[in-house]
Amino acid sequence: MTKRFCRGLTGLLATALLTISVAVAEQTLGPVTDEIGVIRIPKGAPIQIGGSWVLSGPDTASGLDQKRAVEIAIKQLGGKLLDHPLKLNAEDDLCNAEGGQTVGTKLASNPQTVIVLGSACSSAATPEAPILWQAGIVDICTSCTAPSLTAPNRKPEYAGFARTVYSDIEQGKADATYAREEIKAKSVVTIHDGSPYAQQLQQVMADNFKAMGGAVLSQEAIAPTDVDMHPLLTRIASEKPDLIYFPVFTAAGAQILRQAKETPGLEHTGLLGGGALFSADFIEAAGPAVIGFLVAYPDLSPEAMGKGYPDFVEEYKKAYGEAPISGNHGNAYDAAILATKAIEQVAKSDAAGNLYIGKKALRDTVFATKFDGISGPIACDPYGECGEFHPSVLEYTSADPKTFAIGKNPKKIWPK
Amino acid sequence: MSNTALRRSAAIGLAFGAGAVHLAVVGVILMLHQRAIIVGSLTLGQAALLLIAAGAGLMAARSPNVGEGLLSGMLAGAACGLPIAALTMLISLVPLRLIFIALSPALFDMLSFGQGLAAGMAILISSGAIAGLVGAGLRLRPPTLRRAVVPGIVAVLVFGVFQELIQLMLQRYEGIVGEIRDFIYSWEGLTPEGATACFAVAAFWGAGWGFLRQALDARELMPGPKHQRMLRAGLALVALALLPAVAGSYIGQVLMLVGLYILMGMGLNLEVGLAGLLDLGFVAFFAVGAYATALLTADAPHALAHLSYWAAMPVAVLLAIVVGVLFGLPVLGVRGDYLAVATLGLGEIVRVIVMSDFAAPLLGGAQGILQIPKPSLGAVTLGTPVALFYLTLFCSGVAALVAWRLENSRLGRAWMALRDDEDVAQALGINLIRCKLLAYGLGAAFAGLAGSIFATMLSSVYPSSFQLLISANVLALIIIGGMGSLPGVVIGSLALIGLPELLREFGEYRYLFYGAVLIVMMRLRPEGLWPSEVRRRELHAGDETLALAAGGNQLPAVQR
Amino acid sequence: MSLLAAARLPRFPAASRIDAVGIALWGLRIAVVLVVVIGTIGSLIKARYTGAQWFDLVMFGLTIGSIYAQIALGYTMVYGVLRMINFAHGEIVMSGAFAGYFVATAFDHSGLLTQSPLPTMAAVVAVAVLTSTSIALLAERIAYRPFRRSGGLAPLICAFGVSFFLQQTFRGMFGTAVRSYPDPLWQRAAFHIFGYTVPHLDVLVVGLALLFMLALYLIVQRTRMGTAMRAVAEDAEAAALMGIDINKIVVFTFALGGAMAGIAGVFYSMVYKQVYFFMGFTPGLKAFGAAVLGGIGSIPGAMLGGFFLGMVESVGPSLFLDGLGIPAPYQLRDLIAFTLLIMVLIFRPQGIFGERMAKRRA
Repeated sequence: MTKRFCRGLTGLLATALLTISVAVAEQTLGPVTDEIGVIRIPKGAPIQIGGSWVLSGPDTASGLDQKRAVEIAIKQLGGKLLDHPLKLNAEDDLCNAEGGQTVGTKLASNPQTVIVLGSACSSAATPEAPILWQAGIVDICTSCTAPSLTAPNRKPEYAGFARTVYSDIEQGKADATYAREEIKAKSVVTIHDGSPYAQQLQQVMADNFKAMGGAVLSQEAIAPTDVDMHPLLTRIASEKPDLIYFPVFTAAGAQILRQAKETPGLEHTGLLGGGALFSADFIEAAGPAVIGFLVAYPDLSPEAMGKGYPDFVEEYKKAYGEAPISGNHGNAYDAAILATKAIEQVAKSDAAGNLYIGKKALRDTVFATKFDGISGPIACDPYGECGEFHPSVLEYTSADPKTFAIGKNPKKIWPK
Repeated sequence: MSNTALRRSAAIGLAFGAGAVHLAVVGVILMLHQRAIIVGSLTLGQAALLLIAAGAGLMAARSPNVGEGLLSGMLAGAACGLPIAALTMLISLVPLRLIFIALSPALFDMLSFGQGLAAGMAILISSGAIAGLVGAGLRLRPPTLRRAVVPGIVAVLVFGVFQELIQLMLQRYEGIVGEIRDFIYSWEGLTPEGATACFAVAAFWGAGWGFLRQALDARELMPGPKHQRMLRAGLALVALALLPAVAGSYIGQVLMLVGLYILMGMGLNLEVGLAGLLDLGFVAFFAVGAYATALLTADAPHALAHLSYWAAMPVAVLLAIVVGVLFGLPVLGVRGDYLAVATLGLGEIVRVIVMSDFAAPLLGGAQGILQIPKPSLGAVTLGTPVALFYLTLFCSGVAALVAWRLENSRLGRAWMALRDDEDVAQALGINLIRCKLLAYGLGAAFAGLAGSIFATMLSSVYPSSFQLLISANVLALIIIGGMGSLPGVVIGSLALIGLPELLREFGEYRYLFYGAVLIVMMRLRPEGLWPSEVRRRELHAGDETLALAAGGNQLPAVQR
Repeated sequence: MSLLAAARLPRFPAASRIDAVGIALWGLRIAVVLVVVIGTIGSLIKARYTGAQWFDLVMFGLTIGSIYAQIALGYTMVYGVLRMINFAHGEIVMSGAFAGYFVATAFDHSGLLTQSPLPTMAAVVAVAVLTSTSIALLAERIAYRPFRRSGGLAPLICAFGVSFFLQQTFRGMFGTAVRSYPDPLWQRAAFHIFGYTVPHLDVLVVGLALLFMLALYLIVQRTRMGTAMRAVAEDAEAAALMGIDINKIVVFTFALGGAMAGIAGVFYSMVYKQVYFFMGFTPGLKAFGAAVLGGIGSIPGAMLGGFFLGMVESVGPSLFLDGLGIPAPYQLRDLIAFTLLIMVLIFRPQGIFGERMAKRRA
């Protein structure tokens, strides 16, 4: 009995005493004065860069690919910056909100975290970025594409958020353009799987499609673990659309693809998938039905990517024994380069060899840095969009998962 | 040494070895291997294998004859190493990698210690034998040695495994603490000097404490075992409550999550532990609390109102109570396992609706509801994890008080009667309907409160947060902690929620260990880690005509 | 577990009480009936589907129903004998599916799968059955046998534990990627009768399933072990007094259930062509619903329940959810299965064929 009273009392007292908040206030340390705060890195200590990606579960390929790209960037810099070793603290955010929250808190509570790269998912980035910015840490996202994160009306707690990856507003528009103008589809049915990414993307695509004069016959939804698509596809067949657009994830996407081929009435209907279906795992899951299947994805062909891209791929293969396993490695690499360039510019050292980095100065520099990255020119607009978007549509040519190679299987068919 | 003892040791060793092989095939050993405890010398994977062998030795050493005991321990340890050696041989001969993805060349390197097949196998079996010997020795040798060695090993392991966390906590302090930190840790893990230092300090402390206890015991100054327990628990609790203020916001975040699960655990405790109503749809109430708070406070187009958090919270709790009662109404007549499945179905229905496009205009669908503000006390916003932790702590304290009073009230006794035998309870005049509905409603209230705090903690609610797994988690932590007991809920939550959060890098295998722990706990200690007084009294009275003890009904546990 | 005491006390007849609960339950019944009727009428008015399409849906419902039926048999037998819900049954299905997958892929690579379908299929099923049965027996020995005496939650929690453990073990061993079951041409072909398309695969699966279920039924009805099993299911203590070795019967039951689960796993992966570690969870849950629907403890009940559930799942969303004008109705199809399960549990817990087992203390 005393235990519980004690607990209640402790809680009361603690709450009464509580006035703490993570103090971000003007600070002067060494030669640097900054509005938000200054990080002091002692001589010889590493410059700590936080990383937040999905590193376990079915989407591991995407997160792992990006982490590796950042590791290559660090390696190419010799593992050092300004005479301090570079250390990547990569955490697993599980591609969901709680994970993003926890990783954000963990990285923010480390006073030595200079900057954070990631997340791989918008649902993780949404709670993560404000937590990091509350501690004055900039977050450069590498594959979160939700439009709301860099929208002009975004909240001030996202002021420290930038990304080198495109926004789904662009992707959805490009997909609608392809559907309307390239394959001349008059009607479309969209399918999403209840994930925020898919739902938002198909909505943008549908809105653009309508605006271009097309008809959106219906917007369907499934659960990501659904295996039986027959009733849904039969229903869609009865509506006779020209195109089915489904930016869903691997397992469900593979089922839709396979079963659509077997559903009478859908023989002449086009099928267009989204970026989550761009992996060797998808080829494995979809089997022989994958041949001829189209996915919409940013242009990764050498003409569209930056000059340094082929060299990067070579480095990647040497270091990890395989070609890049997903599509956002370019964005991650460029984010790392952006971060290190900004740090280099902003950091000042004192006579003893300690390094000082002003947080607001770092943020402003990140937003002002321009260079030619391997995914294209990097230049941030005031709301954090730093990458350029080049749409493309790719077609799978073989059902052997081992032949997955960007540019060959799937190969680019648009723009020509 | 007798034949049976030989065979027994060998059998134990082989069984443990089979367990180690399973862990290797599943990929746990390799994953643990990536983590160094002592930089350059010992990885967690190797430590795990050694511990398994030591465990085998410990179990096998039963003989009163010390020599024989040590021998059987050694034999068990060696027998433990045998299956792993066999696995190593298999990996090198047959390309099992094609089927079992974890049996990679990296694993082979680890298991053979980089020395090739024959030498590796020899090392495996011999180190197994030595570990078994140590394990046996620990069991047979005088308690002083045990009290010194065990804390030493535990300290090295803890400081090694949690090195990132401890370094994080210590980062904020320079000066003498910084010096200590630099001494024992390099950036990857413990230095060898640090490890020996930890071992020595802990061993010293363990032995010293043992002597002190003996001395006090002799003078009859030690409090009884029950008071000891309360003291320890009280101290631990105070330490945990103050920890976030000292150790930073990451610990605060983790402890807050633990606190939320404690809240939910207390609620489910009312339903399952007291009233015997097995509710697997508990996450639905959690969702109701979260969504209600979101809809009433968020700065989003879906929001129904823009109240302050403090106004929205009671409404959320009330709504959860209403939903709880509505839940309970249809399933009043359903019992036992069927109730579990029925409530599971109801929980799933809520989850599907919350995620659907059909309810999207109201509930936000897949995008969820964002921009939920944090609560504010006057001028202060409770924005940091530490602040919210103290809010959770406060709410848990209040909830614990309520739960404790309920348990000892007429209603609580009616629930216990309900749990033991519904028909008899009804015959005694208890209004079953009212009782059950109250159980559902009040249990739901706790979950609603937890959901409300959850919503404001994340500043957003996504439908994917409300999976069946949460209900399973809460049920598991009650079972492991001890059903019907409030301290049990705290312990269960710390063990099943706090620990995996801290050990996130091993998160891939979290549910594997969950499953194993559940089975082992049910076999070894089904009444839980901290069973309730009532339960212990009940069992002790040996009342066998009471049919369903929702928990263990083994023979009464010996008073500790 | 008091088999003799508590459940025999007299209960107040529920019919004579008109109270809030009764009204609520009636309200629930009416609501569900209304939804079904209005939805059906709405769909039929819209007349979206042709006859051939309805036939397709029915055919598919039969196929998936036969798989559910096989899984449900495992649940119902174990429950009948042990009074325990084996939550890990779905994972046993998954283990059989994985085993079958590896064998089938091996045959596919060597071309044998297309050349000689019959022997290879037999081999696939044999290996799957072997795997699933062994795992079922292991689970019984390690996790269920010690709890046979104790009632309460311990067996249930253990079953959860086994379920988690198996799932994650398979995940660790084989990874999270979704594997693709080989798809040889003879599986993809279809009959065309009177303008209706009947895929070979569906016929194969339904036919074989019926065959296996018949075999099981005969085993249970005609052989000595089967009769002993039924005796234990009816009254374990009396059966023990008659000299039946309960342990042997339990092992036999698990073996039978495990075998059926393995076959069901192979069929499931043949139909849906995807094999991954989580595939057993939802079908397991739904098959349990089917077992309850048919009457738990009754073998014909499980079979019927399985087919019924399969049909409802396949035809249901198109039949009534569609007609209600709900946006994206197919997201809600699990709702149908769960609502059916709950309705059965509330209003007719003994299912279609079962005895009044649900009201007794579990």
